[in-house]
Amino acid sequence: PALARENNCLNAAKACNLNDTCKKYRSAYISPCTSRVSTAEVCNKRKCHKALRQFFDKVPARHSYGMLYCSCPPGDQSACSERRRQTIVPACSYEDKEKPNCLALQVSCKSNYICRSRLADFFSNCQPEPRSLSGCLKESYADCLLSYSGLIGTVMTPNYLRSPKISVSPFCDCSNSGNSKEDCERFTEFFTDNACLRNAIQAFGNGTDVSVWHSAPV
Amino acid sequence: ELIKGQGRGCLLKEIHLNVTDLGLGYRTKEELIFRYCSGPCYDSETNYDKILNNLTQNKKLGKESPSQTCCRPIAFDDDLSFLDDSLEYHTLKKHSAKKCACV
Repeated sequence: PALARENNCLNAAKACNLNDTCKKYRSAYISPCTSRVSTAEVCNKRKCHKALRQFFDKVPARHSYGMLYCSCPPGDQSACSERRRQTIVPACSYEDKEKPNCLALQVSCKSNYICRSRLADFFSNCQPEPRSLSGCLKESYADCLLSYSGLIGTVMTPNYLRSPKISVSPFCDCSNSGNSKEDCERFTEFFTDNACLRNAIQAFGNGTDVSVWHSAPV
Repeated sequence: ELIKGQGRGCLLKEIHLNVTDLGLGYRTKEELIFRYCSGPCYDSETNYDKILNNLTQNKKLGKESPSQTCCRPIAFDDDLSFLDDSLEYHTLKKHSAKKCACV
């Protein structure tokens, strides 16, 4: 049998509930994100998104990032990774009845000023650069992690995919892209296959990037 | 400064527990800080309490013994959420004390 390993995502959840601020804002988003409002809707998505944005605004990064970017053993598909996927309560904040086309989702994001500016920050701060040691054009993992977490609570809310390596995506795909298929795939790969973002998440999870503590919200 | 009726001995205390220690039937590995009110309330007894005491001792109330001043929460802590072993979220309300008084 495999050795029992530390579950970093569970440890982060424990640490959150022992901190008054983190505990308060955690339950402040879990409540609306898990309360059924009618037979048709599993939750009030608007309230869930708003409370998620507040959680990442108000809770110190040590706790909020601790849960969002916790590291799981490679290949782990259960306890740790599933808990990490559940951080944002995807049944409410992420999944939808239909999966929209990513470019159509981008258009709807651009019609909202919070989403538009946060998506622009994400594209600028997590821009990959293969020639740099960090893998990022702007060599700041902290800025990349901050702008990624800033998308949570917008229509572009991303989440971890069930994949052996770290891969994230908003809830959309490139079916029905017509002649924009390449544009659409470029857009999705910025999430699913982005070395800058992947390195930033891994560096946080392994505790190898100390700079995050200084530039992230306290 | 003591709030009127608070009682000197009635204090807010806390203990670090596993959610399973609460005995509410949840299966999870998450933890919490449980806060509770504890301590004596002699200081804050009113004439009402003294009279009740005397009447019970003199057996003037038959077999009845109405409740005395108690150290109880007058405000509750924020809600607590946790993920259980089957990946379902739960939120506990009014599970932990925030402020105590002799009532």
